Amino acid sequence: MKNKKTLIFCAIMAVLLIIPLFTSDPFVLRIVTECFMWVGMAITWDVMAGYTGYLNFGHASFFGIGAYVTAILMMKYGWSFAATLPAAGLAAGLAAVIAGLPTLRLRGAYFAIATWALQLAIMQVALVLNITGGPDGMRLPPFLHPEFFYYLMLMVVAATFLLLWFLLERAPFGLKVKAMREDESGAMALGLNPTLIKTEAFVLSAVPAGVFGGIYAYWITFIDPASVLADIITDQAMVMAVFGGLGTLIGPVIGAVLVYAFKTYFWAYLSDYQVLYLIILGAMIALTVVFLPNGLWGTLTGYTGGKKSLKKGVGLDDASVDDTVEKKGAEHV
Amino acid sequence: MLILLPQAIVDGLMIGGIYITIAIGFSLAYGVMHIIDFAVGEWIMLGAFLGYYLTEWTRIEPLFYLPVVFVLFGLIGYLFQPVIHRVLSGKKGNPLLMALVFTFGLALMFKGLGLTIFGFYSRSIPSNLSAGSLSLEWGNFFVTIPTIRLVGLIYALTITVLLNLLLKKTDFGLAVRALAQNKEAAGLMGINAKRTNSWVYGIYVGISAMSGVLIGCTFSISAQMGAKYTVLSFFIVVLAGMGYLSGVPWAAILLGLVQSFFLIYFNPGYTLLAVFVILYAVLLVSPKGMFGKGV
Amino acid sequence: MSDAILQLDSVTKTFGGLHAVDNVTFDVQQGEIVGLIGPNGAGKTTIFNVVSGYFPPTRGRVLFKDEDVSNLPPYKLAKLGIGRTFQVVKPFPGLSVLENVVIAAFCRHPRRADAEKHAWSILEFTGLADRADASAASLPLAGRKRLEVSKAMALEPSLLLLDEVVAGLNPTEAELTIKLILKLRDSGISILIVEHIMRVIMNISDRVAVLNFGKQIALGTPAEVAKDPEVIKAYLGEEAT
Repeated sequence: MKNKKTLIFCAIMAVLLIIPLFTSDPFVLRIVTECFMWVGMAITWDVMAGYTGYLNFGHASFFGIGAYVTAILMMKYGWSFAATLPAAGLAAGLAAVIAGLPTLRLRGAYFAIATWALQLAIMQVALVLNITGGPDGMRLPPFLHPEFFYYLMLMVVAATFLLLWFLLERAPFGLKVKAMREDESGAMALGLNPTLIKTEAFVLSAVPAGVFGGIYAYWITFIDPASVLADIITDQAMVMAVFGGLGTLIGPVIGAVLVYAFKTYFWAYLSDYQVLYLIILGAMIALTVVFLPNGLWGTLTGYTGGKKSLKKGVGLDDASVDDTVEKKGAEHV
Repeated sequence: MLILLPQAIVDGLMIGGIYITIAIGFSLAYGVMHIIDFAVGEWIMLGAFLGYYLTEWTRIEPLFYLPVVFVLFGLIGYLFQPVIHRVLSGKKGNPLLMALVFTFGLALMFKGLGLTIFGFYSRSIPSNLSAGSLSLEWGNFFVTIPTIRLVGLIYALTITVLLNLLLKKTDFGLAVRALAQNKEAAGLMGINAKRTNSWVYGIYVGISAMSGVLIGCTFSISAQMGAKYTVLSFFIVVLAGMGYLSGVPWAAILLGLVQSFFLIYFNPGYTLLAVFVILYAVLLVSPKGMFGKGV
Repeated sequence: MSDAILQLDSVTKTFGGLHAVDNVTFDVQQGEIVGLIGPNGAGKTTIFNVVSGYFPPTRGRVLFKDEDVSNLPPYKLAKLGIGRTFQVVKPFPGLSVLENVVIAAFCRHPRRADAEKHAWSILEFTGLADRADASAASLPLAGRKRLEVSKAMALEPSLLLLDEVVAGLNPTEAELTIKLILKLRDSGISILIVEHIMRVIMNISDRVAVLNFGKQIALGTPAEVAKDPEVIKAYLGEEAT
């Protein structure tokens, strides 16, 4: 079984590795490269939502931070592109620690709000600072080698996938994270520090997103707040993961490929793409939630991601907390 | 600069007034259903546009349309709530997480619909009261109060008082409080949880939409305004302490003051950033809100 | 240095003015089983929550191996060597029985292979080895209670807090669990146990502390406590003051 999975993974990688040998059509390469990137964004978003049960409504923050760090270091400080990528990841990870520490102690609603507010706040900062070029954005030196970015994105995303797979499905860390999702207070009695583990998971999801952002900036050669910090980035990663199925790594990959393929097709055929696409994304989330709560992959394989999962993450906590909540609520209503 | 201080305070109070109404409905819905609604800003936006079009077509003072907007959106909310209920009581997956995701999806969909129908432009609802203003003066200080903002404040106070009466003095209010306290027990006592939840959600959506009209008369509206008001609603509710209704007015007024001070003394572009910093500090120091009485 | 592994020094815990635990002082000696009894709502579980770090005491101190641990969080106490079970059992339902125990075993064995080995040995000890791969949610109550004990054991604690691990089991299962508890004691673990079933407590405890309405009304050997007039009063349901 394990061998079979490895075999499938290697086969897919082999196919992806030789695609550029058959076509040098920049359009095709661009589409596939971007698809890799969205696979990466979807699986990293799922680290929080699916594995720890906390909704990150500001995943674009990390992508944008990464993009701006790469752009600023290259343009203002003359760093080489390769050197900026670790910095981009580091900056995103640092932002995750800062945003996560106060909010990951609390129930998931706070985290969802705080991450969203973070994204809006960072966008505003990027709009007013001089170093980011404000609303005009930043231009990077063009480096017109589609194959380079194709391979780079493929390698980084594949490495992220393997890293997440190892940490979440093989290493002790994964079991600890799942224990946290299933029963946080019970896990504490077993020597697990919830805030620490959740913050680690958050950093794990933010660092790769920052690196993707960095690659994106150099690849597209132009970034502005509307393109790298936009809601649509978070929304899209979220739709992909939810549609594919939370709590697994395969689900978001499938979701990302399908949604991205759909988007690409859709884009080619409709001019007023952005707005209709929003409606479709929104409808897709709502319909998936109502009709396929376990996502496509979860429904196909019967995976439910843990029966009690996310109960604590989002709404009600365990009984004791619940009681105080409701008493308070009633007193003051 | 000191001379502008009274104006900043008065402005803050009046902006805060509108926020009170939004956040009270939002807090109420949270208290009963235990989920936060990410679509709150979109309900405001849709209400604002309904007010805008009604006014454009009929040229009647938009404030007269407040009841119409309330009833219409109340009905929409009432009919909509069962869908949320279905998600929340789902057996598969993680209902609470999914409910949150669901409202987020709704917000996205409404925003897309708004952009499709209303376009990207900003507008404002033409009210006869927009032009007029009251001026007060004493010594070196003077304060200008636009009539529409005064009306907004009166509206906010009225809604707050009415809601308070509804919750404290009526059988319906008793049922809502019972539900907020204990779902199972309330059900045993013969309270129809489903219907009560639908009413609460309807009232919340209605109030949000109505407040949208006032926002439209006071500031400008656009199909993209939703996210901002959702964040501001969260800000108020978290600052007040989640589920602690009595804290809402103070938090709303504080937000109003922050906003007016940034407008007058600093760069209004930093307002959301300031909001985030305050939110962050509150979560860091006192996650149960300013009064420590939240959930 | 005393021989006490755990000392409660006038521990008080109030919830909004209500004294859930009021001025309780007792200790657990090395290798001893101490029973904690009392009518419903006497504060037994609150004491567990205070000792295991879920609630900090309002007043008073908790000493573990002569160190003040009053304000440490649960996960630090687990690392120090306090293991506990929950009255309302808390398995991780989506994970297998083995995985449940492995998570606890990480506390002393950070490497997965070591943790699994350790977890297997514990499952053998508690008799759950043949269910290792089953989902924790699929276990019957007796199994879940035993899993609860297995998880606490996997921490390799020097003090074990057992909250109603016998209640709700049939006589055969109860007998097995009691044997397990005695075996644990013999392996050198000190035990503080809350149990509703008098017979169990009186048989296995070296000493018993009795609570009523949050106050400690007696402390002594089972024989002494059973003769104590206040204890009899409390249990016969008369006005206890």
